[in-house]
Amino acid sequence: MSIPLVPELLRKHLADLADSDMRIDGRGRFESRDISLEVGILPRAEGSARVQMGNTIVLAGVKFQLMTPYPDRPNQGGLMCSAEVRPVAGRSWEPGPPSPQSIELGRVVDRGIRESGCIDVDELCIIPGERAWQVILDVFAVSDDGNLFDAFALAGIAALRSAIVPAERFEIGEDYPLPVSKTPTMCSYHRVGGRYVLDASKKEELGGDERIHITLGDDGHVHSLQKGLKGIFTTAEFEEIMEHAIERCAELRDLVNNAIEK
Amino acid sequence: MRGRRVAGPIDMTRGRGAGGPHGSRESVLVAPGDDLGDSKELEPGHGVIVVDGRLKAVKQGRMMKDGKNVGIQPRRTAYVPRPSDLVIGFVEGMTNNIWFIDIGAPFNAILPLSLGPSKASFGGLRSVLDVGDAILCRIQEVEENHSSVATMKGMGLRKLKTGSVESVDPHLLGRVIGSKGANLSELKEKTDTRIIVADNARVWIDGDVAGIISARAELGAMMMKAKISEYGGDV
Amino acid sequence: MGGYGDVQMIDEKGLRMDGRKPSECRPIEIETGVVPVADGSARVRWGLNDVIAAVYGPMEAHPRKIQRQDRAVLDVRYNMAPFSTTDRIRPGFNRRSREISKVTAEALESVVLLELYPRSKIRVEIEVLCAEAGTRCAGITAASAALAHAGIPMTDLVVSVASGKVNGVVVCDLNKEEDNYGEADLPMGILPNSGELVFLQMDGDLSQEDFKIAWDYNMEAASHIHEIMARALKGGDA
Repeated sequence: MSIPLVPELLRKHLADLADSDMRIDGRGRFESRDISLEVGILPRAEGSARVQMGNTIVLAGVKFQLMTPYPDRPNQGGLMCSAEVRPVAGRSWEPGPPSPQSIELGRVVDRGIRESGCIDVDELCIIPGERAWQVILDVFAVSDDGNLFDAFALAGIAALRSAIVPAERFEIGEDYPLPVSKTPTMCSYHRVGGRYVLDASKKEELGGDERIHITLGDDGHVHSLQKGLKGIFTTAEFEEIMEHAIERCAELRDLVNNAIEK
Repeated sequence: MRGRRVAGPIDMTRGRGAGGPHGSRESVLVAPGDDLGDSKELEPGHGVIVVDGRLKAVKQGRMMKDGKNVGIQPRRTAYVPRPSDLVIGFVEGMTNNIWFIDIGAPFNAILPLSLGPSKASFGGLRSVLDVGDAILCRIQEVEENHSSVATMKGMGLRKLKTGSVESVDPHLLGRVIGSKGANLSELKEKTDTRIIVADNARVWIDGDVAGIISARAELGAMMMKAKISEYGGDV
Repeated sequence: MGGYGDVQMIDEKGLRMDGRKPSECRPIEIETGVVPVADGSARVRWGLNDVIAAVYGPMEAHPRKIQRQDRAVLDVRYNMAPFSTTDRIRPGFNRRSREISKVTAEALESVVLLELYPRSKIRVEIEVLCAEAGTRCAGITAASAALAHAGIPMTDLVVSVASGKVNGVVVCDLNKEEDNYGEADLPMGILPNSGELVFLQMDGDLSQEDFKIAWDYNMEAASHIHEIMARALKGGDA
């Protein structure tokens, strides 16, 4: 990823806006852009979702493969989550091997889903020591206008929730929905103009500082945290956004549930 | 993924043809490759070339006829600098005696020390204009291979220390300004801001925060309206 | 081309498995503006194919060594998303994608007026989100629509389509089964206003007569696709 030029005027303007408790696109501090979430949009994937938040658009697709369980875990299948931000998604995303930014994105999304335990890898085992399912979640950015993290996490869990295990195609029984016991969701906060805001746009990311990603499970349990970029924050600041995240993650969970029920 | 312009499949047995610019309402909108007439009768304007005696569109947009001149008002276009253009640039980097300026064109411009602010001295450029600073400058010259030289020598050319810079579509600049600057004056008055519209489609807005916010919103609405009036609700 | 003679893909009425006549294309939809942050973009849905193309630029070419003093560099990438096929595609280097990127770039370079933007770069990103045979054709078609949408000057659009042969019958616009088990595949990139070609590949086995029919099918299909593309670009009622 190339580092775009940060205009000084933008930083200053964002600080002025923050002083008046405003944001560059008129949103409130903890107001997200409108989110649209659709599932089942990729015919070749066993589970899929599309998320749009403003001009940020991402896709997620779930594929299944058969694997031989690892010798030390003969009763377990596998879960793999991979994010690749290809240069289609924006001017600053450049071709070449995955950038550290894109790897961080994939790993943070992966941890949130994996550590929540929403997929029981024991259930993915078909014949212990011989055959098991490997679930592969690929998230893909179509258009990056800021906050790919939340978009990826939301599309990722929705795609998993909608996935059907293609047992028939592999001739091992009937197709069945992938058991997903929990719905972890992520909220990201960016320091813009000196204070944290929810769901930063590209302009705010460009003229902002550090970011914090919080993934919470069904019961509000914390499953993954990540602080990214250069910056210093206080306990009080973190407490404030955590309090907000508890509420927001629950709203996102409802969004996923509604999309799946449709 | 959810664009608004969807063309559906059509019956293949129906009459074919490129739907060239003749006749119906749709006719004024053209796509690259469309035939626009005979070069003996017409002259090519913007976005039009002559191939084998025929005028041909090379851009997507609206065909405009002015006497014998046929041009295309493009739907989108890249800013290409011309000498004497007033532009807003961002400092991208520097050497001991040259600043490199992003002017939103396919190639960045250079600002030599001799044409920069007079207080700058050799090897001390950063203390006057640093990376990320915004400047109001003019294009002094454009070389044949499109590299351009900027100057800050001239009335009102300076570093922009306050306010906000917005980008608009280059071909819609006329709409922002309006006839004899009417739209621009109205916008300034209504929002109590200072506004400079530069030729490279960047607009500088200065004033208090509330003024900048409302000017930016007005500007956005103007762009949307201009696009809708030209392309019928389709942006 | 597999050449499995026992797979019956043309019925007794001369229709194909999906009910099409030999000369008929799959349904095509073209849409622009699908990548809002790009300078231009288009999406082509063609049968089950779902392909997007985004254009960035013209912008300064980095690193300096790739710059051309006399024209812009057209940097084209064709890629299949991991979830675009039945078996997942591993991301990363891939010889097939490289070749398709190269021939696509060369096809588009033939129409884009690159000499207007010396020393700059125009990036064209083609992403296959869902694949069902003929993705390179859909990719070229999407890329040319995206370039036009980005306001990049070009002497003509490019539409691309493939004809081939299955069960001894020449057919237009192969679907997945026909592509897998057919006897030949002839993709072409056609300039719809002049009928000239900028892209041509072929593999398989075609007699001179069949080759001529396949060629003509492609030409006919090109003007059909062009009509859809022109409507998408001009914003006419769909």
